[in-house]
Order: sequence, then C-alpha cells, then structure tokens
Amino acid sequence: MSNKALFFAGSDDEIDPPPVNGAASDANVSQPSTPLDPRPGSPSIAAVPEKRLFLVDSDEEDAFHSAARAPGPSVLPDDRADHSSSDAGLPCLEEAPRTSSVNSISSQLSDTRLSPAVSSPRPPPLKKQRLASPENSCHPPGMEDAYIGCIVGNAWSTVKGKGYINPGDEVLIERDALEDKTGRVKGQNKAAGDKGKKRQLTLKSMMNPQPSKKFTKRKIDAVIRLTNKAGFEFGRLPQDLSVWISRLLDLDMITFKGSTMIDCPTVLHSGADLVVSLSVYIRASAFNPPSTSGIETSKIFGLGQDTEEETILRERKTALLTLFDMLNLRPRRGAQISRDCHVSNTGSESRSERSTGKKKVKTEIVGDGEEVEVEDGEELSDNDLQLIYRKAQRNDQALGEMDPPPTFSLTLRGYQKQALLWMHSMESGEKSARDATCMHPLWTEYAFPAEPREGLIDLTEDEKPFYFNPYSGELSLEFPKSELKLKGGVLADGKMGMGKTIMLSALIHTNKDPEPVRPEDEGKKVRQLKLATLVVAPASLLLQWSEELQRSSVPGTLRVTVWHGQNRLELDALHEDDENRKSIPVVITSYGVLASEHAKLQKSNGQSSVFQIEWLRVILDEAHHCKSRTSKTARAVYALQAKRRWAVTGTPIVNKLEDLYSLLKFLNFFPWSAYPFFRSFITVPFLAHDPKAIEIVQVILESVLLRREKSMRDSNGNRIVELPAKEVSIEKLQFTPAERIIYDSIYGTAKRNFDQLNAKGLVGKNYTHVLAMLMRLRRAVLHPSLVVNPDDGSQDCSSKPKAVDLDTLIPDVLKDSNCEEGSKNAFAESVLANLANASDVECPICLDVVETPLIIPRCMHQCCRDCIVGHLTACSERGEEGRCPTCSQGPVKEIELMEVVRSKNVLEEQSPFFDSNKIQAAISLRRNDFRSSTKLDALLQNLRRLQDQDPYFRAIVFSQFTSFLSLISTALDRERLTWYRFDGTMDTKKRNAAITEFRQNERKPKILLISLKAGGVGLNLTTANHVFMMDCWWNTATEHQAIDRVHRLGQEKTVYVKHFIVEDTVEGRILQIQKRKTAIVKEAFRGTQQSGKGDSESLENLKVIFGDD
Amino acid sequence: MALPKRIIKETERLVADPAPGISAAPHEDNLRYFDVTIEGPDGSPFQNGVFRLELFLPEEYPMAPPKVRFLTKIYHPNIDKLGRICLDILKDKWSPALQIRTVLLSIQALLSAPNPDDPLATDVAKHYKENEKDAQRVSREWTEKYASK
Repeated sequence: MSNKALFFAGSDDEIDPPPVNGAASDANVSQPSTPLDPRPGSPSIAAVPEKRLFLVDSDEEDAFHSAARAPGPSVLPDDRADHSSSDAGLPCLEEAPRTSSVNSISSQLSDTRLSPAVSSPRPPPLKKQRLASPENSCHPPGMEDAYIGCIVGNAWSTVKGKGYINPGDEVLIERDALEDKTGRVKGQNKAAGDKGKKRQLTLKSMMNPQPSKKFTKRKIDAVIRLTNKAGFEFGRLPQDLSVWISRLLDLDMITFKGSTMIDCPTVLHSGADLVVSLSVYIRASAFNPPSTSGIETSKIFGLGQDTEEETILRERKTALLTLFDMLNLRPRRGAQISRDCHVSNTGSESRSERSTGKKKVKTEIVGDGEEVEVEDGEELSDNDLQLIYRKAQRNDQALGEMDPPPTFSLTLRGYQKQALLWMHSMESGEKSARDATCMHPLWTEYAFPAEPREGLIDLTEDEKPFYFNPYSGELSLEFPKSELKLKGGVLADGKMGMGKTIMLSALIHTNKDPEPVRPEDEGKKVRQLKLATLVVAPASLLLQWSEELQRSSVPGTLRVTVWHGQNRLELDALHEDDENRKSIPVVITSYGVLASEHAKLQKSNGQSSVFQIEWLRVILDEAHHCKSRTSKTARAVYALQAKRRWAVTGTPIVNKLEDLYSLLKFLNFFPWSAYPFFRSFITVPFLAHDPKAIEIVQVILESVLLRREKSMRDSNGNRIVELPAKEVSIEKLQFTPAERIIYDSIYGTAKRNFDQLNAKGLVGKNYTHVLAMLMRLRRAVLHPSLVVNPDDGSQDCSSKPKAVDLDTLIPDVLKDSNCEEGSKNAFAESVLANLANASDVECPICLDVVETPLIIPRCMHQCCRDCIVGHLTACSERGEEGRCPTCSQGPVKEIELMEVVRSKNVLEEQSPFFDSNKIQAAISLRRNDFRSSTKLDALLQNLRRLQDQDPYFRAIVFSQFTSFLSLISTALDRERLTWYRFDGTMDTKKRNAAITEFRQNERKPKILLISLKAGGVGLNLTTANHVFMMDCWWNTATEHQAIDRVHRLGQEKTVYVKHFIVEDTVEGRILQIQKRKTAIVKEAFRGTQQSGKGDSESLENLKVIFGDD
Repeated sequence: MALPKRIIKETERLVADPAPGISAAPHEDNLRYFDVTIEGPDGSPFQNGVFRLELFLPEEYPMAPPKVRFLTKIYHPNIDKLGRICLDILKDKWSPALQIRTVLLSIQALLSAPNPDDPLATDVAKHYKENEKDAQRVSREWTEKYASK
C-alpha cells in the first residue's frame, strides 16, 4: 500500500498537486464560518451561487471537457439541502467546514493521507484505461484512496494455456474506457430541448465519464477484465459482480489495488474457475457530490419517466449499496436500510411492490402495528402516528422547567413550565432543550475498516467514519448534522385542551424583547411592530384567545386587539400606541381575515398592513387549518413575515404525512419547506413503503415539535394531566319499519347506481355523484325528513311547534260538539283536570298506562302515541278514515292530535300557557305535527333520563348536518329544553353569544348543538360533561377532537360520550371503514372534494359501503 | 310470538270480573283461542238457552277484530247456520278500543234485538219479517232443543 502511494505521488506529474486541498484545510482552521455558506432562507438562494460557480467552471472547461474529469459541486437538490440544513453535511470541501468536529475528522483523514480531491482536473479517460495501474492513476499526490474492504469472488478464465497467472500473483483489474462520443451527442440533443438550468446540468454530466444511456443498456459493457502484470487479459469477472463493479469503476468511485489471485488451475482453459481476492479502495473523488441532477420537480411529477441522470444516480446508489453489502459494511449509526430498500431501487420493482403491498394491507386488518406502518398506503393510522411522535417524545420527561415572569398571572403546571422552557430556547436560538446531536436523517454512518498492512491489521488504529446517504447515493467524510435554524416550532400537545393558549401566553410574557437587528436586515425597510405577536386562529376561537390572554396577564401588561370583522383597525395605529405604552401588543385575527387580506395584497398594488409588518412572533392556532398547501389560507399564512413562528395544533398530522409539510413551510424549516424536497424524501418513499420516510419524519419532528399527551407521565411518574374518566358507549338502534322502508329504497337505488357505474369503471368519473348518494344515505339514517322532499306530503318539520292554549282549546271543543253539550264540556274539563293531576290514564288500545298521551281534539279521548298512530295507519291501509277508537268520531288525522307535555321544569317556573290559578303543574298541549326518527327519539330518551338524574345537566350534541341540528332543536323545543346552537352559518358574534350563554350558570338543563365543521376544534366546553354524537365521521381523529372539547383541562366530572348508530345501515359500513387501518378517509371522501375525483383508496372504501356482505 | 300484553290483560279481566251471563276461557294450548258461552237474555226467545261460541284473536288484534262464531245451532236472522255472525263491530265498525268483553256483550245484545233488515240467514230473516211470532216460536224450540243447559 505505502509503496503504491509513494508511487502515486511521484508519478502523477501531469496533474497539479491540489492546492485546493491545502486551502481547504487552511480554511478549516482559520475560517470556522464561511460567508459562502448558503443560508437556509430559501432553496433558490441556496442553490444559485453554487450553480454560478459551477457554470463558470464548466464554461471554461467546456472546450476541453474530455479532459475535465473532476466532478465539481453539483446542483443536486438533496445536495443543496444538506448544505443548508446541516451545515457540515456535504462532502463538498470547497466550503470550509465550520464545526470543530468536522475539523477533527478531516485532520484525522489527512493523517491517513486520505483527503478528498475536489475539482482537480483529471487526465482524460484513456481508451484502455488500466484503473489499477500506476501509470494511469488519476490521483493527484497527497490524496489517497481509502481501503474499504476485500471481496473474494469467483472469476473465469478467457485464455487457454499455462503461465498467465499463478496463485498469489497480483491481478490487475481493467475496464474498457467509455466511448464519450455517443454520450455527448445524446446529451447535447437532450439539452437543447431543455431549459437553461438543466442544460448546465447535462453539460456537467457530460464532463464526467458517465455511461450514456445507450451504454448502460448494453450488457456487454459491464465487462471487467483481469490482466496479469504484463497487461495480458486472462480472465473476467462474472456478470453478477461486474454488473455493479463496472458502474462504480466508470463513475470513478472505487479502485482495486493489491488484488491477488487466490486459486487457479496451473493450466488455464477457457471458462476455468478462478478465485480472486479484490481489495477495494474507495476513491477520494467518490466523496464529491454525484454530478448529476437527481430530483427536479418536473421529474418527480413526470410519472416513471426517469431521466438519464436519475438512472445514473440510481445505479450509483444501488451499486454502492451492493458494494457495502458485499464488503459486509454495516452502518454504525443512522437509519438501517432494510433489504426492501435495495430492491425498491428500481422503479418498476417498487411499483410492483407497492401494488402487492396494498393487497397485503387489504387482507391484513388486524396486523402487527410495526408491519402495517411499512405496508401502509398514504394514509396513516393512529398507530403510525403514535410511532411517529414517539421519537419526539422520548426525552420530554427530562425536560427542564421554566417559571414565567411576574407579569403572567396564572400558575403553570409542571408540563406547561417544561413547554415554556422548550419554547423559550427554541426562540432564543439556544441549543434546543433537547440534545440536538442528531445525524441528518438521510445519512448513515459507516466506518472504514482497518486496512491490512503486510498482512497485519493494526487494531489500535481508530476507526474512521464516513457517511453515506442511501437515498442520493452521496458519500461524505463530514458528519452530516441535523440542525435547526428556525426560531419557533410546533406545539402539538395532546388532542385535548392542555392549556396551549396559556403556555403561549406565558411565552409572550417571557420573550418580549425585540430580536436584535441583524446586519443584513438593516437595509430593509420593514415596518416592524417590534414587540407584537400575531395570533391567527379559527374565527370561533378569537374570543376565547382574547379572554384567555387577558385572564393570564397582570392587567396592563398585555394589550390584546381582536383584528376581525368589517371595521378592522389600521394596524399602524397600534404601532404608534406601542411607543407610548409599556404593554405587549398582541393582535388576534382569523384565518379568514388573513386569506382575504392576502387576496387584497395580490390584487394589483394592493396593500395589506398585516403582511407588511414584520411580526416579532406569529402563532397559528389550530395550525392544521392550513394543512392543504395550495389553499388560500395556507398561502396567506406563508406570506406572513415574522421572526419567530409557532404552529399550535393537536394534530400536526391529520392523516397524511403531507399534512406536516404545510407546517414546515410556515416555519420555514429548510430544507423540508421546499416541496420537491419534502415530496422526494418523505412522500414518495412513504408511498413506496420505505420505512425510512417515517424515520425522517421522526427526526424532523424531534427537532421542531413538542407533544405531550394526557397519558404521559412526568419524571415523578405522575400523569402530567389528571383528567376525569371518559366513558364512551355506542347505542345501537333499530329503524322503525317505516324508516326501514325509506332507507332501503334509497339504499337500493344508490347501490344499483353504484354497481352500474362500477361495472363500467365509471365510479371515478362520477365520484361527486356517488358522494352525493352517500350523503343522502347518511341523512336518511338520521331522519327521513332529511331525504324526503317537502312536497311529498310530509310535514314541514322545521316549523316551530305551536303550543296550544288549553283555554282556547276548550271553547273549540264546545263549538265542535253538536250534542250533549253539557256532558261534553264536563268530560273535556275532567280530561284536562286529570291531565293536570297527572293521574294515570289507561290507553284504550294497549290497556296500559299512557306514557306519552295524545289527545284526539275532537272528543278529548287519549291514547298512547304508538297505539293511536298504529290505529290510524291501519285505518288508512284499509282505505278508511281515521276515527277515534273509543267513540268512532272522525275523521281523525295524525297531525291534529294533541300531545300532552308534562313539563319537568321546576315548579316555580310556570308554563306560560296556563293560568297559574287554574292548574298547578306545568302542562301543555301541542300539536303532534312533528315527526321524529329513531335517532332523534333515542337522543330525547337519553336527555329525559339525564334530566331525571341531573336536573341541571349540560350536554353537547354533535352532528355533521346542520339540517339535522335544526330538527333536533325543534324536538328540544317540544321537550322544553333550553338549547343553543353553534354552526358555520352563524357569524362570530352569534357564536360567541351562544357559547357564553351556554356556559352561564343557570339552574336548568342546557344543550348545545354543534356542527362538527364549525365547532370541532379549539372550543372549550368543559361546562358540559355529556356528549352525544348523532352521526359517525369518516375520521375517528375528528371525532376525538370533537369529544376533547369537553374532555379537556378544566373538566371535573366524568365525561360520558354516546354514539348513536342505526344497525344495518351505511353507518355500520362507516364503522367498518374506520376500523380498517389503511382507510382513514381522504378529505375528498369527507365531501369537500376539490377535484371531484376519487383515488383508488376512496373507491375501495366506496366498495365497502356498497358491497354485499 | 309472545302474547301481547293487551291480550293477557283482557284475559285476566275476563276471568276476574266476568260479564253477567257470559263466560270466556282461553285454551291452554292456544291463548288466542277462547271457549265462550253466552246465556240467552231474559225476555228473548233465547231465554234459558246457553250458547257455545268460539272466539279467535288474529295476529293483528286489536287492530283487527276478533273472529267469533256460534257453535250452538241458533235460529236468528243475523246468524247463519254455520254460526257466523253479522255484526258491524266485527267488521267495518271494529275499533281497537273494543275488547273481547264488549264484543261478547254486543252479541248478547244482538240476541235480544235481532235485526232482520240486515240479514245473514235470509230465510230466517224472511220468517221474522213475515211472521215474527212464529219465527220466535221456532227460535224458542231451537233453544230448547240445542241450547238447553
């Protein structure tokens, strides 16, 4: 080894010794931080200077490109990324490494005379290049190839005879030089059609001796010849070895030195078996970035169309992985690359794997959590999510605490103090409270094996690490750090209220000093509200934020402005105020306002102060509101200028990994905030079932996210949040026969429709239509009136129930009666008196005590509701008029019947319909003009029972359908229960009023009706402890979030949650889908589809819905 | 199918508080099937007679009327020789508020007041219309012959 190295140094005089190298190491010492370092501001900025540098080079060298072998810095996106996300991440040594650890690594490396050559020109590739022969060495002196292992393999002889080679002889490995011509022509042709940027890349790639496309396709070019010292070819490597070794040789990645023949027959014959030992050295040039552009947005979206560069890159990557495998090199650190990863390196294979993977998932409903996560589709199950968060939560127990300043008036709990410390350190730019010595998630660490010198291995020698990125195929000698440059993060505590608002309030109080002005900002003319924090929250939460912020501050220390509604203050005025007062300004606004302001901004010359101000801090509450990166809201949010950025959400990942992207984009968490980057390293691998995707996300989250759950325990083993128990039950209901008929007919039509579409394969095209049918079905489960057209003869159920005044009723009765006036009158009065006395009446039909009496107004006879309705139905079936069963008077219509309501209100609350002198108990009659439904009845029954147990109960009723909420409110009116409503059609003022009134402490039961869309998030409704879910959601996470409005910090009672499910309906199928791990259903599936088209997964789910059992 | 609560209640009441001159008892093996006896009302041609009837409560009861038939031969214009009864409440005037007891009382009343204008046994009705006295005589004879205690 050493003599060869000497030889290198001496012989290679056509090549300049690399002054670059010396300069680089100088720089290491003298310039720990280099101005060349691209800031993580934006991908384009980071990339441009490099490109320029390179362009200059390449233009100069263009003339002699055949001579230029040096792979210069490339413009690979991942490469870019590493430059900025991990300062020291790149093997590119023009940039001086900035950290001491890197310095030490490189100095160690120079000890072993291994120091990477960078941009040093190389000799032109020779026609028959002897890669291992000293004369042809392309290495400048002072640089060395590093031993990485030895392959003992078979070869076969190509000659016949004796004396070509003997065991123990040195073997040289030779490779046919490449024919540059074809490659170049091809490249130029290709480049001509491409954009300028790409052309540069292509030109660049031409300068490297890379196999052209044509070349890569010709198997014969994988030939690797074995020659003896005299240069005579006596054998070749077999196909399985040569196919990848040739790639690495062509790319100048490795070389062979001191390879020996271990065994061969004395007399060779063609095809004779040879056993050779090949010592593999990795060339210094291998640590240069690969010189092709791997990932471009356009390419990612060009499905399956690999560019030439990508092919080469992939081959390089695959070859390196194979090499490491053959050499038995295992990563010491970093993510383990599973075998699947090797396999899935080729496009077709990964695709087929995906399809089989999908099938697997389909059958594997109750799978082992670990496995399913890999096999999963794009959607994530709860298990996956927990797995993803686990890493970020690992060390949180040990997190230190920090006390808020005295201007903060509340006492924080332990975990809230921890959050404060964490947020404080994230903002002040100190090293994260967590230990941030993570390796960059894409990299793995390997160790150089000790090189046997004269047959001995020096065990005392330290192992030198090198780093490999199995995604891009890059190699590096420097430690690729995962580091954070943003100020801010994601506060993702739990799904329920753990006091996130309070924690952020504490943060606002703690970190109120303005950011020091950075020199580069001085020139900028940005209007700054120096201390101002902007809080962006859903409109429903503005009031809550304002209240909470004020509640948590010593009066006068915080100035809260709710910037919402038509008459929004000019924010500049706020600014001026700020100079005079000592209080901290906080502006609260909604996503809606932000989006409309942004639209204003985008109009020609539009101005919007909220975007012109550079805020000290922007807080996004319920940040998943902008999870769709293309939405107007998301774009508006990205446009905000801020020094510090916080995203607060209980569900940073709602059901897709991509949900996270929007948050990272808002946080400017480079490189992940670049969509192509995020997509190629997270989304795409995840779709290909590469577990690495999850690992990357874990590492990202570890650096930006704090998430505690109520079940987590502090260092003393106590739960960080003590919440009362939550009891969830499902009440299964049966349709009444009439409802069943209606439902079945709708279902039948929908199913026929779907089957027809499905048979023709048109479901995707008619997706919107199918969804509409599905919605109709789901409404049919709730209440027939929701699907029956009003002109079908059914009553208008939403009309206010008219209570009937008994005093007016009695004269009516008298007027109607044509005989026996006196007795009739007496009878009517006795009936009413009996009602008042609440005496039990026997139903003439069932002979039982009447439960909910209905009075026939004509004759004042009473029956049970079910009995009289059954009787009237039987009459109409016979084609007869309905008559009173007792006295045969008729006709009697169902809607004329009077319902007797015994009010359960406390006695002093007199019913307004009665003269208090006359009747003691509050009793009223009302028309039976309201048609109930199974679900509604179940709800009412539950509420009645609840009222018996707790006369002042507070309950929340959730439904997705506002029309159903209207029906419920009608029914509640009939029950004389107080209700409040909260839905998307109400403006903020009304919503706030509803919440305030609901929370008010009154001695009566109160019910709050909430539509999921409007009130699923943020609201604090701990005054209630009963939750009724009228319908089921596609996504259980949404359900939980709704429940957590009640089951959150501040709740003191056990929370009871009841789901109503009607059996043998679409709801059962929805539950089935909920249970399928793969099938957390898409946004589109929930009915807010943008494209109107379903993806395959949604279609699968539709098949479950409409499938046969 | 379980017996509706109403039928059980009615049966209990029939047993506990029988209507005068009427008895009704369900079969042990079929609680919807009743053996009924009605005494001929005093002052009618059927006086001193005891008439056996069968009563069956159909599945739809009380939404549909019970089925009742005389087993004892009777000479009555509204009762045919098969024992079928022509009574409005057993047909279109049925109401679920009526009960076994009320049905049987109505039948008893029908014995007191035959209605030859709405006949079922046309020859008997004709006989009653043309010569009521003679017809009543035949009724008495039949009662003595077939319905004596």
